[in-house]
Amino acid sequence: MGKISVYRFLSAGCNGCDVQILECLVPRYRLANLGVEVVEKPEEANVLVLTGGVNVKGREYLLKTYEAIKPPKIVVAVGNCALTKEIFDKGYPMVGPPDQIIPVNYYIPGCPPRPQAIVKAIADILGVKIEEVEDYWQAPEGFRGKHEFDSEKCIGCGACAQICTADAIDVIDGPDKRIIRVNYGHCSFCAFCQDECPTQALRLTREYHLVTGDKERARVTNEVGLLSCAICGGVFFPEKQIDWALKRITLEKIPTYGEFSGEILDAMKVCTKCRRNIGNIRKAKGLLSKLSEKVRR
Amino acid sequence: MPETVYIGPYRPQLVEPERFELLVEDGRIIDARLELGYMHRGIEKLFTTKTYMQNLALAERICGICSGIHTLCYAQTVERLMGIEVPERAKYLRCIYMELERLHSHYLWFGILAHSLHEHEAFLKIMGERERIQDLLEYLTGNRINYLINTIGGVRRDITPEKAEKIRKALRELKPLSDYIMSLLGDNGAFTKKIRGVGVLPRDKALEVGAVGPTLRGSGIVSDIRKDDPYAAYDKLDFEIIVEKDGDVWAKALVRARETYESMKIIEQALDNLPPGEIAVKPGEPKVGEEIGRTEAPRGELVYYIRSNGTNIPERVKVRTPSYANNFAILEMLRGERLENARAVIESIDPCFACTDRVTIVDTKTGKRKIVSLKQG
Repeated sequence: MGKISVYRFLSAGCNGCDVQILECLVPRYRLANLGVEVVEKPEEANVLVLTGGVNVKGREYLLKTYEAIKPPKIVVAVGNCALTKEIFDKGYPMVGPPDQIIPVNYYIPGCPPRPQAIVKAIADILGVKIEEVEDYWQAPEGFRGKHEFDSEKCIGCGACAQICTADAIDVIDGPDKRIIRVNYGHCSFCAFCQDECPTQALRLTREYHLVTGDKERARVTNEVGLLSCAICGGVFFPEKQIDWALKRITLEKIPTYGEFSGEILDAMKVCTKCRRNIGNIRKAKGLLSKLSEKVRR
Repeated sequence: MPETVYIGPYRPQLVEPERFELLVEDGRIIDARLELGYMHRGIEKLFTTKTYMQNLALAERICGICSGIHTLCYAQTVERLMGIEVPERAKYLRCIYMELERLHSHYLWFGILAHSLHEHEAFLKIMGERERIQDLLEYLTGNRINYLINTIGGVRRDITPEKAEKIRKALRELKPLSDYIMSLLGDNGAFTKKIRGVGVLPRDKALEVGAVGPTLRGSGIVSDIRKDDPYAAYDKLDFEIIVEKDGDVWAKALVRARETYESMKIIEQALDNLPPGEIAVKPGEPKVGEEIGRTEAPRGELVYYIRSNGTNIPERVKVRTPSYANNFAILEMLRGERLENARAVIESIDPCFACTDRVTIVDTKTGKRKIVSLKQG
């Protein structure tokens, strides 16, 4: 396509993404070199750039604006609020991410996406290549970008899902495995999950070019095997987490328990339902008295 | 015969969606009304569905420009509820990060002012130079905006000597930008011609409408929470409160321009006197009760009220943002102003409607509406 005229539509968000779009106009990001101009009337535009989720008040304006823009009517959603409403997901005035109201062609995840990511995405849409030679095209050390799992280290405990500020991490238990799924299109990139991970398995990388045409693909997953209960055989717990907990008890916390590690492991392999079984309670009590005897000596 | 002119929410486009209803006679604005809510997200309700720790990320997303100060104000209030003392080093680090944020916010405001005055060259120059501070914040905190650097009990990332040197270098490079802005606001500056004497907010009116921050200081009133109710390490740092008497858009701009120098002074002092030690302590248990906290955001006084019932989820969080207080100053400044200056006046308080739209806005007095209906009739 020829010349691009962008009209930006800001809906209910924090306006951080809007500032990033403003920054794209700075010469160093070369947005103007791509033949892109930002216009102030939707009638003059052929590309609509959306930021923010949509609330009840903004809905009709969004529809009107979409009607007004010229073909080919390309719609680009910038930032995670425009993808999934992110942290405002459960806010009462929110009527949905823009793609529930109008068709959206491209999504740029990020909170906010770097101006570099926005410019690169526009260049990708145009099929133009940008040279990323200057150092500011690379994210600095410690940048909080796309997530990465170390599947060796991940024990599947789900602590990341517990601390997540935007409900971006799902823990899905299947018949024999647990899937930890990070929807980075829903993420606020606060990196609390990285801080909270007991085994440093989840890490935020410096990757930030995340433009996609399908927001369902904006995901990182990891699978962990689930263990069956030693008594009833039903699946209940990630295998690696039990190993990790056992190591923590017998090696780090209370080394004197080392000789009972086999028995402790057997006790941990019983699901919560079977633990209430009378035979099991007697067995567990026996183990506990043995352990306390050991500590007393 | 007066006529009604609408500005916004999307036509003509302001920086953020908001709607002004202006009653105009012979090119002069005789009355103004404001309609908000285009960015309402229900944040105060959401605050009561997340834990204290998770709410940090939410507080930050009230505003995408002054995001750091929201987390600081929230964290300080929660720290008081939990009864924990922040390490001395963290207090200095907080000052450094927050003054860097004030710099980027003030420069952004000048960029937007240049944009609304159609000074395209100045816009590109200011925004281009401003990238230095954005790069610096990204390098220090891991994100350009929404950096989540303040946490309950301290800060999340330390400043090493190597990082301190980068900050000093960036400040040296930013001084010419502040000088350039001062020259635009000088006697024959490009901005001065367009904004001198525009949108005057007299001293008594500024007090009456409850303006805060640079809007208030531009009307000759000395008020700064960093001095009035010191938080973090501001009581140990030497800086001046900038005040200008004129009360017009130019005075507000000058206040911001001179404040950038003060911010640089604060950062340099804090870097020189950075005490050694821990950067954070562990958060404790919130006790039952209520607390109030305030900080000086780039736009003015920011107030947080938090009520706790002893659980890990707050019972009520109320936020009073500076833009909300300053909105009523805009209406005051618009009255009697020429229509072509309306946009500069609206931009002059640095309105952040993302900040304001957490609350439901009640309609202005019915008296004002009558004038409009008379015209319609």
